[in-house]
Amino acid sequence: MFFEQLGGNLIQGVVLGAVYGMATMGLSLIFGVLKVVNVGHGAFIMVGAFVTLFLFSSLGISPIIAVPVAFMVGMGLGLIFYYTTIRKLIKAPELATLLATFSMGVLLEELVKLVFGSEFRGYNWEVGKIDLGITVLPMAKLYACAGSILIAVLLFLWFKKTRAGSAVRSVVEDSEGARVCGINVGGAYALSFSLGIGLTVASGVLLTMFIPVGINPYMGGGYTLKAFVIAVLGGLSSPYGAFFGGLVFGLIENGSYTLFAYIPGVEPFALTRFLSFVILLVILLIRPTGILSAK
Amino acid sequence: MKRSFAILVLFMFVFAGVSFAGAAPDKIVIGHPACLSGKYAKAGEQAVGGIKACVDWVNNFNGGVKIGGKKVPLEYKYYDCESKKEAVTSLIGRLITVDKVDVVFAPYSSGLTLRGAPVAESHQMLYMDHGGANNKIFRQGFRSIVQTIGPATSYHMGTLDMIHQIDPDAKKVALAYEDSEFAKMVMEGAKDHAKALGFQVVFERTYPKGVTDLTPLLSALKASKPDFVLGGGHFEDGQLFNRQMADLNINVNALSLIAAATLPAFYKALTTMAEGVMGPSHWEYGVKYSGEEAQATGLPWIGPSQEEFLELFKKATGEDMLPDYHAAEAGAQVLAYVLGAQGADSVDSKKVRDVLGELQFMSFYGGWDVDDSGMQVGHTMVDVQWQDGTRVIVWPEEAQTGKVCYPMPTFQEKVKGAKAVPK
Amino acid sequence: MKQLPKYLPLAPVFAAYVVMFLIAENMEGMWQLMSMLLFYCALGQAFNVFMGMTGYVDFGYVAFLGMGTYGMALSITRLVQYEFLGVWIIVIGFALAMVMSTLLSMAVGAVALRLRGAYFAIATIGVNEGFRFLIEGARIWNGSEGMIFTADLNTILGREAAAALCTYWADIMVLVIAALAASVTLFYMRTKVGYALTALREDEDAAKVMGINVTKFKIIAFITSASLAGLLGATAWALKTPYVFPPEVFEIHYTIEAIIIAMLGGAGTLLGPVVGGLVYGLSKYYLSIFLPGFQLLIFAPVILVIIVLFPEGIVGMLKARTKGTGVERFIV
Repeated sequence: MFFEQLGGNLIQGVVLGAVYGMATMGLSLIFGVLKVVNVGHGAFIMVGAFVTLFLFSSLGISPIIAVPVAFMVGMGLGLIFYYTTIRKLIKAPELATLLATFSMGVLLEELVKLVFGSEFRGYNWEVGKIDLGITVLPMAKLYACAGSILIAVLLFLWFKKTRAGSAVRSVVEDSEGARVCGINVGGAYALSFSLGIGLTVASGVLLTMFIPVGINPYMGGGYTLKAFVIAVLGGLSSPYGAFFGGLVFGLIENGSYTLFAYIPGVEPFALTRFLSFVILLVILLIRPTGILSAK
Repeated sequence: MKRSFAILVLFMFVFAGVSFAGAAPDKIVIGHPACLSGKYAKAGEQAVGGIKACVDWVNNFNGGVKIGGKKVPLEYKYYDCESKKEAVTSLIGRLITVDKVDVVFAPYSSGLTLRGAPVAESHQMLYMDHGGANNKIFRQGFRSIVQTIGPATSYHMGTLDMIHQIDPDAKKVALAYEDSEFAKMVMEGAKDHAKALGFQVVFERTYPKGVTDLTPLLSALKASKPDFVLGGGHFEDGQLFNRQMADLNINVNALSLIAAATLPAFYKALTTMAEGVMGPSHWEYGVKYSGEEAQATGLPWIGPSQEEFLELFKKATGEDMLPDYHAAEAGAQVLAYVLGAQGADSVDSKKVRDVLGELQFMSFYGGWDVDDSGMQVGHTMVDVQWQDGTRVIVWPEEAQTGKVCYPMPTFQEKVKGAKAVPK
Repeated sequence: MKQLPKYLPLAPVFAAYVVMFLIAENMEGMWQLMSMLLFYCALGQAFNVFMGMTGYVDFGYVAFLGMGTYGMALSITRLVQYEFLGVWIIVIGFALAMVMSTLLSMAVGAVALRLRGAYFAIATIGVNEGFRFLIEGARIWNGSEGMIFTADLNTILGREAAAALCTYWADIMVLVIAALAASVTLFYMRTKVGYALTALREDEDAAKVMGINVTKFKIIAFITSASLAGLLGATAWALKTPYVFPPEVFEIHYTIEAIIIAMLGGAGTLLGPVVGGLVYGLSKYYLSIFLPGFQLLIFAPVILVIIVLFPEGIVGMLKARTKGTGVERFIV
C-alpha cells in the first residue's frame, strides 16, 4: 500500500519534473549569461499557456504545434524587452534588474488581462491514457515530458555544435576575454535573453499539456517560486543543471507527500512546500553551485 | 528652501482639491471599495454588475427609495481596491467622509471585509457584507455589520443532506479542501454535518493555496475508496481538482466542489470532464424564487424578477454573460438596504441597521434574514449539477429545476462523450 | 549643540510627516489616505535601513512584518484571559513583535547574509515562503485559519478604546515608527556603521581587505531593519487589521512595494522613502479612483521607464542638482 503509493507518486514526479526542469532552463540561461534574475519568469510561462489556449480553442491547432509558435513569440518578446530595458541595466545593481523584470511580468499580466479577461480557462485535449496499475498517466503528460527532453537535447546540441552557441558559452566563461577575441558580446546577450524567454514561453505550452486548466493572467506566480528552487538545485547558472534540478524537484515534491502523510496533526501538502524551500536554503549554503556540479 | 516651500504648497493644493465634493440632499449613495483588479477581480466584477443592475431597478422600475413621503434616487459610488487591504481602509475612509455615502458595501473576501469593519464601525456607518463568509466575522462584536452571503459552515450541508436521502448505501466521504480560512471553515461545517448524518469520513486533507499539481493528494484520496468527494476552495484549484481526478481515473458517485464548479468557466475549461460534477451555490440563474412563492411563504417580495435581473445585469456590464452568485448576492444587498431605509424612513445608519435586524424578505436571490450578530440565516444554498453542459439545480427539492444524476458517469465514460443525465 | 547640524537633514523628513499629520487631523476625509501613505513611507524607510545602505535586496522582507503581526496577535489572543494585564497586553505585543522579528532576522542573517547578490535575494524569498508553509503545514499558531481578534481587543480595552486604537492610535504609531526609522537611518549614516556599509556597497571585498568587519555591520543594519518591520507589522497590520492569515502576512507583493518605494525615492537616501512612499501611494490612490482597474497596467511601464532613465530615484536626482547650493545640507 505504502510502496504502491510512493511508487505511483515517484513516476508522476519524474514526468512532472522533466516539464518543471524545462520550464526553468530559460531562467538559468538568462542568469548564467547576463547575471539577471528574471523575477517575471512566471508571467512568460503564462504567455505560453495563453498561446496554447488561443491556438487550440480558437483555431483548433494541436498543442504540439503551439510549442514552436510559443517559442517564436517568446523570442520576439525577449528581443523587445532586451533592447528597451535589460540592455541598459546589465551593469546596474541587482535592485534595478529585479524590479525591472518584475515590472515586465506585471505588464504582461495586465496586457493579457486586458485582452482575454481574468476568467480561469482551460482546454480539453483528449489523447488517451495509460493505466500502470499503481497510477494512471494521460498521454498528454507523456508528450509534455518527451517534448521537454527533446528541447533540452536540442539546446545542448545548439550550445555544442553551432557557432552562436559557442559564442554564448565563451561569454559565460569570460565576457571580457570574449570581447577581446572579437565576439559580439552585446549580440550574445541579446540572443541569450531572447532564447531564454523563448524557452520559458514554450515551456508554458508544455505545462498546460500537463495541467490544461486554471489558465489565467495571474497563474505564473507559483511557477516563478518553483523555478527559483529548481534553478538553485541545478546551480542557478546552468540550463542543463536546471533540467536535472527539475527532475529532482518533481521527485521530492511528489515523494515526500506520502511520507509526511504519516505525521499526525499536520497538513502534509504544505509541508512538501516547506521542504522544498528548506532544500533551497541548504543548497545555497553548502553548495551554491548546485547539487550536480562536479566541485 | 523656496523650492521645498513651493512643493509644500503644491501638496496642500493636491489634498485640498479632493475634499470639495459636497453631499446633495436628494439622493442616497451606496459606497463600495470594489475588487476590480488583483486576486479577487473576477468576483469583484460580478458584484459591481449585480449592484449596478439592482440600483438601476430601484431607480427606474421602483421610482427610487421611498423616504419621508418622497421617492429618492439611489446612487452607486465605487472605487477599485485592487484586492488589497491598504486600499480598502483608505477608500472606505474617503467614501464615508468625502463622498458622504449612506451605506458601505464591503469588498470581497473575509479578510478584506474584516479590514474595513473597524473604519465603518468608528463612523457608525452601516457596513453590509456580501463577500465575506467566515462565521468568525460575526463573533467580533461589530454592531453595524449585516451579511447577505451565507456563512461558510453551511456550504456543503445541502449536498450531504441530498446524498443521505437518495443513496442509503453511500457511507464513505472524502474531504479535500484548500488550506485557507474560508475553505477550512466549509470543511469544518461539512465534517460535523457528515458525522451527524452518520457518514464515515475516510479522508480529510487540505492542499495549500496556489497549488499547481494535486496528484499526490488525489492518489492518497483514491486509495481511501470514498463513495463521494467534497472539496475545493477557489476557482483555479477547483478546475485542477476535477481535471486531475479525471487524469487519475478516480471514479466516485458524486463530486462537489465549492466556488469553482458552479461557474460557466468551469465547464468551458473542462467540457465533458465536468459532466455530473456538482457545486453548492448561494444562487444560480434558474432558481425559482418569485413573487408568488414569496406570497406562499408569507415573506414580502421586492426587486426584479430573475429575467429582469439578467437583462439589467447584461446592460450594466455591457457584456453578454450570465450573472453568478457574486452578482446576485451583491444585488440582493441593494434591495435589503432599500427595504431597511424605507422601513426606518431614514438613512441614519443606526436606524437602518435596527430595521435590517428585524427584516425578512424574499427577492430573486431567495430568502433574507439575519440574526442578532448580523449573520445571514435566512438564505438557503442550492446545489447545482452540470448535466449535458447546462447547470441544473438539483437540491433542495423545492428549488430544483431537474433531478440529480447519481451516480455520475465514470471518467472513462465521459471521455467517450457520456453526459450526466438523470435516470 | 555641536551635534545638531549633523542631524539637520532630518528636518525635511520630519516636516513632511508633521504636514501629513496636520492635513490628516484637520482636513475632512484625509485620515485614512494619510494612514495609507504613512504606511508606505514607514515601509520604505524601514526597508531602506538595510537595503539602501548595503545594496542587498531582501526579497523576503515581508516575513518580518508577518512576524510582528503574529507577535501582536499572539499577545492579544493568548493573554486576553489575564484581565489584570489590561493595556499592557498591547505593550507586551510590541515587545513580542520586536523579539520575534529580531529572532527571525538573526536566523536569516546567519544563513543568508553569507550570500551575495541574486543568491541572497533568492535565499530570502525561500525563507519567506518556507516559513509560511511551515506555519500552515505544521499548524503553528492556528495554521491557515489564522486569528481574528477584534472581540479580544474589545474585551481588553473596551469597545470605544479598541475602536480608537484601530482607527486612530495605530496610525499615530505608524507615524512614530516612520520617524524612528528615519532617525535610525541618519544615525547610522553619521556613524561608523554608515561608513562601513558605504564601503561595503561600493566593493565588499575591498572593504574586507581594508579590515572593516563587514559581517558585523551588515548584521546590525539587517536586524535594525527587521525589527522596525516587526513594529510596523504589529501596528499597521495587527492593530489596524485585527486578523492574521498566513498567506496575507507573507504576501511577497509587499516586498516589491518596498523595493519600488525605495527605488522611486532613491535607494540609500534619507529623504528617498518619504518621497517614494508619497509618490507611490498618491498615484495608486488617484489611479484607483479615476481609472479603477487600470492601475497596474499604467504603473508597470512607468516603473520600467524610471529604472532605465532615473536609476538614482527622485531624491538622488535632487541631490545631484542641488550640489553646491544651500539646500545641499538638507537633502541626504
